[in-house]
Amino acid sequence: MDATQGWIVVLGLAAGTFLIRYSFIGLMAERSMPLWLERALQLMVPAIFAAIVCSGVAIVGGQLAGPEQWPRYGAAAVATLVAVRTRGSLMPTVLAGMAALHALGWLARQLG
Amino acid sequence: MLDTASNGDRRAFWQGARDSMVVAPSFLPFGVVCGVASVSAGLSTGAALALPALVYGGSSQAVLTQFIEGEGSLWVAVLSGCVVNLRMAVYSAAMSSQVRGYSLARRMLVAAFLVDNSFAFVQKRQLEQPQDPHLIAYYFGLSAVLWPCWVLFCAIGVFAGNIVPSSWQLEFAIPLSFIAICASSVRSAPMLMAAAVGGIASVLLFALPLKLGLIAACVAGLLAGVATEKGMLRWMPRKAGS
Repeated sequence: MDATQGWIVVLGLAAGTFLIRYSFIGLMAERSMPLWLERALQLMVPAIFAAIVCSGVAIVGGQLAGPEQWPRYGAAAVATLVAVRTRGSLMPTVLAGMAALHALGWLARQLG
Repeated sequence: MLDTASNGDRRAFWQGARDSMVVAPSFLPFGVVCGVASVSAGLSTGAALALPALVYGGSSQAVLTQFIEGEGSLWVAVLSGCVVNLRMAVYSAAMSSQVRGYSLARRMLVAAFLVDNSFAFVQKRQLEQPQDPHLIAYYFGLSAVLWPCWVLFCAIGVFAGNIVPSSWQLEFAIPLSFIAICASSVRSAPMLMAAAVGGIASVLLFALPLKLGLIAACVAGLLAGVATEKGMLRWMPRKAGS
């Protein structure tokens, strides 16, 4: 990807995101959001975030991470436990997950 | 926004700034990894700094950088980032009643700083003080802290990206951050079902052409959530109604 393409995607996402933010504040200010759309968008939010999590953990460099990459899955499981216990606190979840990734990675090297 | 800077507006503005200072530091790790990822994906320093400043939404920034790194279509990258940000339309709808009578420029300014956190604080204040005439001043106070902090955290990642050794596996902090964000977004059984199906589908569908897998997984999760909601209404009307 060259520098121009980089700017195109950044500005494209900025424009699209601004239109979404401005949608009911400006473009359709006289209308309220239909209830079905609001419910659908609310249901979509956890689906989006879970999709980013699962593909981010299980796919490495375009390949499915196999059983030999178990520390990734273990670390994700630890982070999930912390996230549920802390009701989604960012800092403890990330720190616990990173600590688990390195601890389990060390263990995997000792075993292998 | 504050040209009729009454005392009430000024007090609300500073209250907003103080409230957001409590949560802003918790976004440090997420912002830093977003910055690191944008540089390692191949963005120039300028574009990597413009990304948090203009897009101002960590989830979509992370998705965009993952897509351009994978050599997918640029349009699918932009589209996927926009899908991630679709939830902001709900915030926009909720804020629209607060900006009645505002000029075009003011409306645009309000829209520009709409993110999960500023919206959550506004909602909380609305519950505590209904009919608050200084709500938008409060909102700008929040944004006056949250936006510069976010840009700063990402910039740290942009400039420190090459210093961090790759053995730290810092990029893994991105899915970890989303585990926390996902956990706080699930508030009902249909939402849990949407998350479960969306997550599984994203792994099963990752090989879809043009990297459309993420969007397809979101749609699958959404449909599963709607089906669960419908099923609960039918079989457990009392529970679904609560």
